This record gives sequence, C-alpha cells and structure tokens, in this order.
Amino acid sequence: MLSRIEAKAAGSKGPARRLRLTDFDLTLPALGLLVLFFVVPVAILLARSVSEPVPGLGNYAELLGSSTYLRIFANTFLVSGLVTFVSLLIGFPVAWALAVMPSRAASVVFAILLLSMWTNLLARTYAWMVLLQRTGVVNKLLIGLGLIDKPLPLVNNLTGVTIGMTYIMLPFIILPLYGVIRKIDPAILQAAALCGANRWQALVRVLLPLAMPGMAAGALMVFVMSLGYFVTPALLGGTANMMLAELIAQFVQSLVNWGMGGAAALVLLVVTLALYAVQLRFFGTDRMGGR
Amino acid sequence: MLLNFDRLGWWKPVLIGITLLTTAFLLLPILFIAALSFGSSQWLIFPPPGWTLKWYQELLVDPRWLASAWTSFRIAIIVTVLSVLLGLVTSFGLTRGRFMFREALKALFLTPMILPVVVLAVALYAFFLQIGLNGTLTGFVISHLVLALPFSILSITNALEGFDKSIEDAAVLCGASPFEAKIRVTLPAISHGIFSAAIFSFLTSWDEVVVAIFMASPTLQTLPVKVWATLRQDLTPVVAAASTLLILLTVLLMVLVAFVRKGLKS
Repeated sequence: MLSRIEAKAAGSKGPARRLRLTDFDLTLPALGLLVLFFVVPVAILLARSVSEPVPGLGNYAELLGSSTYLRIFANTFLVSGLVTFVSLLIGFPVAWALAVMPSRAASVVFAILLLSMWTNLLARTYAWMVLLQRTGVVNKLLIGLGLIDKPLPLVNNLTGVTIGMTYIMLPFIILPLYGVIRKIDPAILQAAALCGANRWQALVRVLLPLAMPGMAAGALMVFVMSLGYFVTPALLGGTANMMLAELIAQFVQSLVNWGMGGAAALVLLVVTLALYAVQLRFFGTDRMGGR
Repeated sequence: MLLNFDRLGWWKPVLIGITLLTTAFLLLPILFIAALSFGSSQWLIFPPPGWTLKWYQELLVDPRWLASAWTSFRIAIIVTVLSVLLGLVTSFGLTRGRFMFREALKALFLTPMILPVVVLAVALYAFFLQIGLNGTLTGFVISHLVLALPFSILSITNALEGFDKSIEDAAVLCGASPFEAKIRVTLPAISHGIFSAAIFSFLTSWDEVVVAIFMASPTLQTLPVKVWATLRQDLTPVVAAASTLLILLTVLLMVLVAFVRKGLKS
C-alpha cells in the first residue's frame, strides 16, 4: 500500500508538478482580498493622518491637545467601562445559574440569548429608543410605581447608551463565562464545604477566583468591542457624550477632514490592538473570537 | 455545593431571580417592538389604543423599502457564496499546510473580525472613492466579504480540524482522485462547518450597518441603511414593522439551524 502512495507521489513529480497547488497557494485568493481591501486601505488612511493637510504630526497634536477631543476619549472609556462593569455584574450570576440549572431550563435561556444576539442590531437599538423616550414605557412604569414624579431623560445621554450597549454586550460575556464555570470541578466546592467554608466564603474564596480568568477575558472583550462601537451610541447617546467611533465618522463624513479622521482611527486601532495583545498574553488565543 | 443546583442554599433564589430578570430584559424589548408594530399609535404609545396593519401596508407599498430589502438580499447571497467558497479553499490551505508563518496568516485572516468596524468602513470609503467603487454593488460585496470571511474561515477550519484526514487518504487509496476524495468524502463530513459558515456570512452581510452607511449612495442602499436613515429623522412605527419582519427572519434562521443540527446528529 505504501508503495502505491510513493508511486503516486513520484508520479506527480516531473512536468505536471508545476501545476499542482501547494497548501500555501490555496490561501492566496483570500490573502489577496485582505491585502487589497483591508491592509492597503487602512494603511492609506493612517498615512493620510500624517500627510494631510500638511506633512507632520499636526493632526495628533490637535487631537490629543484639545479638550473637546480629550473629552470624547474620556467619554469613550467611561461608557465602555460602565458597560463592561454592568455586564459582568449581571453576567456572572446568569452564567453561574446556567451552569448549574436543569438542562431544560438552561436551553430556554440559551434560546433567548441567541435570539437577542441574532436580532438585527438596529431593531434592538430602535426598541430601546422607543422604550426609553420621555413618554416611553420605562418612564410610565416608574411613574406608575410612584418612584418618580416627572419623566426622566433616559435617552440621548449616558443612561441611554449604557442601557442599550449593555443589552447588546450581555450575551458576549455570559456565553464565555458559562463555558469557564461549566469546566470547574464541583468537587472543589464540595471540598471547600467540607473544610468548613460557608456559602459566602465558598463564593468569594473559591468560585470567584476559579472563574476569574473567564471574567477577565470576557470583560476585556466587551470593553474592546464597546470602544469601537458606532451605531448604538450614535442613536441612543446625545451630542454631549459622543464616542470615538462617531468622531471618526464625523471627521470623514461631515467635515471631510481625512487627516484628523485617520489620526482618530489610529488612536482607536492602537488602543484596540494593545488590549488584544494583553488578552493574548494572559489568556491565550482560545478565548478570542465569537466561538 | 455552589455548583450543585439543589444545594445552592439561599443562593438559589438569588440566582433564579437574577436569571429571570435578565431573560426578561433580553426578551421583552423584542416582543415589545413586535406588539407595537401592530399598534395604531403614531407616537408608539404602549399599550396601543387600537390595533392596525397600516404600518406593514406603508412598508410594503413603499418601493424604497422594498428596493433596499432586495439590495440587501442580493448582496448577502453573493457574499455568502463567495465567503463559503473562499473560506473552504483557504481553510484547506490553513489546516493541511505546513508552511512558515501559518499561525500569523491565520491571525491576519481573523483580524477584520476583531478590529473596530468603523475603521474599516472609513478606510474602504476613502479607497473606493478613489477607485470608483463607492455606491456600487461590487463595493458592497467586497466590503461585506472582508467582514464575513473570518467567520467562514473559523467555522470551516474548526470542522476540518475535527475531521480525520486518513479517511480522505483511504478514499484516494481506493482509487479516487485527490479532488474527488475531497468532494465526495471530506465535504460531506464537514458540512456542518460549511453550513454555519453560510449562516454567519449571510447574517454578517444582511445585518451590517456601519460599512453600509459609508458605501451607500442615494440610488443604492441596503435595508439597514434605510432603517438608519429613517431613525435619524423620527421613530416612525414603520420601523417597528420592518424590525418585526427582521426578527421573524431571525427566528426562522434559528429554527432552520436547530433542525439542521438535529439532522446532522442523527
């Protein structure tokens, strides 16, 4: 049998061999697509940040030197931080519950998570625009419960963006965290109980530390995704709390200032890549991406 | 103790409570939009004062809504086909190949998935303005393909890594040509990966907003761009009707995926 493989291999040598594709060749079409329509355009954009309107670092000086832009950076980090924090706070107990729940009940929760994740982003954002408006259901409910007298401004501000973004990010923290908690051996917690830990101690000193790598990885992912988010902040946020992605779009679309647009894009890229580098360094590649 | 549902003690009601609330938080807005799309109030009052189908009527007789939905569908189908074909070829190269920089190449192929879409959108917009692809179907397809390809490569690579290559080699030994063995042995075995590659590629393109906002022209826009442009003006219930149809499509896709998974298992 081996000799047949060798015969085939030998047969493919000679003149016909030039026509055979190597494995690397197979990746060339996709590589070409990415280089031409991803690497090159991004490189050109970044190059324009140091060449337009005049060569030099003028755009960066303006971007990092003006309080208007610094406020936008600060707001971007604030929103992303808040969204990450709230997502973790809600996501951990849900992931924990999912890991221990009877599988029937868990599959219902999973179906709802998937439905929410797969529903069109604009449809979800629209839902919150309507729910949170001045005469919306949330305000009516709060007034009905006697918690407030006058409708609260819930949209076009930080509250609106945080609620809308948390809604979108929650599944991204629950699903990986569920995977991590699921892998923890229940015997370890039994051991903690046998050694005299009460339920609070077992949570704080055993379960939380064991789930920490998953929490950190999920939090970092949500934070990075939030940093570059465009649609939801643009629709649920106000002009007073613009985020970085909107600033980039505005530079390019309304101001047609490619130099500044490129500079802002580079800042976003550098922050994103730096945080991913942290992710790779500490948590490995296995938790990256939406698997 | 804490990982045994029956021995959670007082954590049990807490966990159940939070999970119920979160599930409601995730589900209710979707149901709410569906209900409002049948409500008669122009100002989206809830509960609606009466029920009507007029928003659907407005949606379905407006040629601009229909045209944008058709554009979205055409782009998504072309992107799906190209993304699956390219994903297949690339994944074969990546999983079977033993060449230098293979891991680096793999990472490069996945970067469009993790980078902020707005950066890609702005960069492609500038590039396409220069080469005359802005506002064209080709421009849309290329930019959505860049975004969809990572998902396709990821799904198919996963499936291929779980496939035992010796089965393919056995087919070759039994007289099949290497190409024939791939088509008739390997492809059926990794069909679940190809299927999820197709679903993810379709959804990536169909739902994509950010790049599309930049690519769109007054004569060529996708459904998300139409929704976006409408929402920038007002919160008309017509968008609720459009959203409900999109939600319906999502549910149908989920059911389809569940069925196919079940079919593949048995």
